[in-house]
Amino acid sequence: MQGKYKATFWLSVVLVALLLLVPALGSKYLVDLTTEIMIYALFALSLNVLIGYSGNISFGHAAYFAIGGYACAIFLTTYEWPLIISMPAAIVLAGLAAAFVGYFCIRLTDIYFSMLTLAFGMLVWAVAFKWRGVTGGDDGFVGVAVPEFIGDRYAFFYFTLTVVALSTGLLWLICHSAFGRTLVAVRENRMRASFVGVDTRRLRLTAFVVAGTFAGIAGSLFAMYNRGVYVESAFWTESGQVLIMTLLGGLYSFFGPALGAAVLYTLQVGINQYTEYWPVVLGTILLIIIMFLPNGLVGLAQKISAQFSRRT
Amino acid sequence: MPPIEGKTMSMLANPTFLFYQFMNSISLGMNIFIIAAGLSLILGVLRVINFAHGAFFMVGAYVCWSTVTYLDGATGSFWLGVAAAAVVLGVVAFVIERGLLHYLYGREHLTQLLFTFAIVLVVGDLAKMIWGTDQYNVPYPHGLSGAVNFGFALYPAYPLLLCAIGVVVAVGMWLVLSKTRWGRIIRAATQDREMLSALGMNVPLVYTGVFVIGSALAGLGGALAAPRVAVSPGMDATIIIECFIVVIIGGLGSLWGSFLGALALGFVTMFGTVIFPDWELVLAYVLMLGILLWRPWGLFGVSEEESH
Amino acid sequence: MKRIFETSVAGRAFGAAALSVALLSGANGAGAAEIKIGVLYPISGGGAIYGGPAMQGHDLAVDEINAAGGVLGMKFVTAARDSKLNPAAAAAAAKELITKEGVNVLLGGLASSVGLAISEVARQEGVIYIATIPKTIKLTTTKLHPYVFRTASNTDFEGDAMAQIVKKVDGKKLCDIQLDYAYGHDLGDGIAKALPKHAPNANIVIKLRPKLGATDFNAYITQIMGSGCDTVVSGLWGNHFVNFAKQAAPFGFFGNHVYITGGEIASHEVASKLAGDYPDNVWSNTYELWYHSPTDAHKKFQARLAKKADTEATAMWPVLAYNGVMLYKAAVEKAGSTDADKVSKALEGLTIDTPMGKLTMDAKSHQANTGQFWGPMKKVAGKPYRVMDPITFVPPPE
Repeated sequence: MQGKYKATFWLSVVLVALLLLVPALGSKYLVDLTTEIMIYALFALSLNVLIGYSGNISFGHAAYFAIGGYACAIFLTTYEWPLIISMPAAIVLAGLAAAFVGYFCIRLTDIYFSMLTLAFGMLVWAVAFKWRGVTGGDDGFVGVAVPEFIGDRYAFFYFTLTVVALSTGLLWLICHSAFGRTLVAVRENRMRASFVGVDTRRLRLTAFVVAGTFAGIAGSLFAMYNRGVYVESAFWTESGQVLIMTLLGGLYSFFGPALGAAVLYTLQVGINQYTEYWPVVLGTILLIIIMFLPNGLVGLAQKISAQFSRRT
Repeated sequence: MPPIEGKTMSMLANPTFLFYQFMNSISLGMNIFIIAAGLSLILGVLRVINFAHGAFFMVGAYVCWSTVTYLDGATGSFWLGVAAAAVVLGVVAFVIERGLLHYLYGREHLTQLLFTFAIVLVVGDLAKMIWGTDQYNVPYPHGLSGAVNFGFALYPAYPLLLCAIGVVVAVGMWLVLSKTRWGRIIRAATQDREMLSALGMNVPLVYTGVFVIGSALAGLGGALAAPRVAVSPGMDATIIIECFIVVIIGGLGSLWGSFLGALALGFVTMFGTVIFPDWELVLAYVLMLGILLWRPWGLFGVSEEESH
Repeated sequence: MKRIFETSVAGRAFGAAALSVALLSGANGAGAAEIKIGVLYPISGGGAIYGGPAMQGHDLAVDEINAAGGVLGMKFVTAARDSKLNPAAAAAAAKELITKEGVNVLLGGLASSVGLAISEVARQEGVIYIATIPKTIKLTTTKLHPYVFRTASNTDFEGDAMAQIVKKVDGKKLCDIQLDYAYGHDLGDGIAKALPKHAPNANIVIKLRPKLGATDFNAYITQIMGSGCDTVVSGLWGNHFVNFAKQAAPFGFFGNHVYITGGEIASHEVASKLAGDYPDNVWSNTYELWYHSPTDAHKKFQARLAKKADTEATAMWPVLAYNGVMLYKAAVEKAGSTDADKVSKALEGLTIDTPMGKLTMDAKSHQANTGQFWGPMKKVAGKPYRVMDPITFVPPPE
């Protein structure tokens, strides 16, 4: 293990250990909030494979989150499959959907790529809205049959923590493999990468599928947590939300998006508890972060730690 | 028109109905174009995906309502409201650009996206503080609440006027962009920004100007839309995506592309709802999907490889 | 009264520290001397048109209860959250209200999906939820559980009333235009079911389903004009109706069609804002009319609401939120406790007096159908905008 990765590894272990202690604080609310944040964090991390590592901005990432959610809910409830089959099947389905959409989208770059992902994302939304018999339409798919062993709030918390920790570990390995490094190289200079014989399209497609698959994991967790899936989860505003989480945390850093998810979600939920004018407060906080923290929250953290190490 | 039983699609065989649908398509297209023109300009020159454009549109409608209400609906008050909306949004945009956005040009494009999203939250909520949560009604301007007689059919006067205004905006922008010095600078900025500053142009000033004009157009569009719709919170959410679709299918920064894109959206929406009534929800997206798969850089866009 | 969003003194300060401390402070629970009500209405974005006025009615009810000394010696305290018209956000807020604020009951909701999402949380957590605005029938049929109750009207009832009006205006060829989502489809079904009973001679010629949130109705207006209908039955609500009416009027549309609509288009909110642009030949419904007091109770309620809202011409939504609070209060009194199971039992079969007359919570279906006013909208001398005339109260079905 290289030196700088060692620190990351031990920090992660400490973080997981701290999270394990959350239920011991005795607040049901904190357990719920942490569960929600972990799910959004995984969602944001998955998007970062596309944005941070390959420079492709998706405006339709919620589609795979929703597909994972709906599929898991439907397999569990309508077909009464066990979790051990339902969840992997849902994740695979999200990955397949991403492969299909990705096949078309990776031909484009920049804003055209973004807009094509938006169009596909909205198609998924419309299908979920219209296919009432299967998805429940705009009423939502309510009453997901969550297996007994994770039916309780605390059990589900540990289940989420396990799944999110494993997924994050897997994502980290993917992003730091030769594949991940090539992605970054392509992002930095597509032309040069293709000159040295990198099949950039195939690489970007792989990134798209990885991102969609992990979004599917987050989506299936979200469906079980809420015991329901709603069309709003596939709407473009949801894609916008996760995009903002990713940007807020800081691009080009593996854990940045998770931090962004935690901060944005906590702000949204928290400010709503104090004022009906939460949008203006949230907007102002965002503006301050944008204006004064050029590299997102992670950039700030790095700056502080750099200052600190200089002094000692 | 003779009544038609059953499927409404058979109505398309009726010439009067076809005429109506034709006019509906053009008026919807022009309605969107007036709003999208500003977005296209900003996107083309600043390369900023301005999510706040929809919020500016909404504020434009509110300003128009306030003006009309303040003047007690006097003759001409609507047109004063339209002018006020454009001016107010121009000033708001100036403050936002000079005060904040200005400092972000050197940063990631995504930062600017995040910025415009924050502006959506702030502007939307400030509008709620100022105008409350009620829905408001702006009456049609004097003399335009009726219909124009085409001999074989009547068509409402106000949407016809919107069509004319759409064309005026398009031609006006085209004249400015192609015949004036500033227009040439703006067009140059769409294509090659480095060149522009290398030539010693005052690029920041161009950016400010474009953002102000683009936003003023959003305000103008909001005010012009106000007589046909309920002026209320949330009216920003639907329009912004339609504008993006129009700008994208037209090709980045292309005025005539947006014009054509808006017309295409108008026709697809109006005829689509008759031919595929169950899928109105997605018609606009299917249009965008189709065009981007066929022409990846939009109707009038230039592919990235060519432009570099 | 200031709306109670702040839940503690610390909450008034917006410092990040205060926020995070409060966020992490866990369940503070309801104090012994108060009953906490969690209320969820949309108060930002497009839903704010409804959520804003609904909160007025809610606050009025809480003020009145507290002025009268509370219930069982306890005062009512409100914790309000923005439901954002988003089911997942509403569910998260509902959970937070229960686990952090320790609320005894959840009230509110607007969209059907939000109602169902809150109901699911109520079921899991064993907390009473009274749905005051959502009309979806699912809430009290397939998704019924011991803790969910509904005081809003429903689409079958609305459709039945509309079929009766079709008979009254002698409609023969009908165009049915509904929004393409659950409420629209259900209302369309409700009308179709009731037509053979009340107006056997009427036929639906075409069905149109514009999307939810549609702003340009020209394609539908021209299709209706082309179909030769004499009557339109519809459930386009709020802004949808305003947009439709404004765009249809220049075609001379309302001179040729009787327009019968659910969706509370006769309410003060719509009628006053459209004012001179409110079209002819419209028949519609409303839960409440500030200018019409059939009972003494309503007259008093209206006076209090007018004082609170600082205008005589008050909105329709407050009474729904008001009744929800009052129903819960009566149930707690009857149960002698705030225990959810006891209150649930007490709610079943409970009858209360409301400004709109008696409201009975059916023991089996958990639904307290509210009657509505129906009638044609007319210009009346001395009134600043169109009013319902004559006003007919259609009571809830037995």
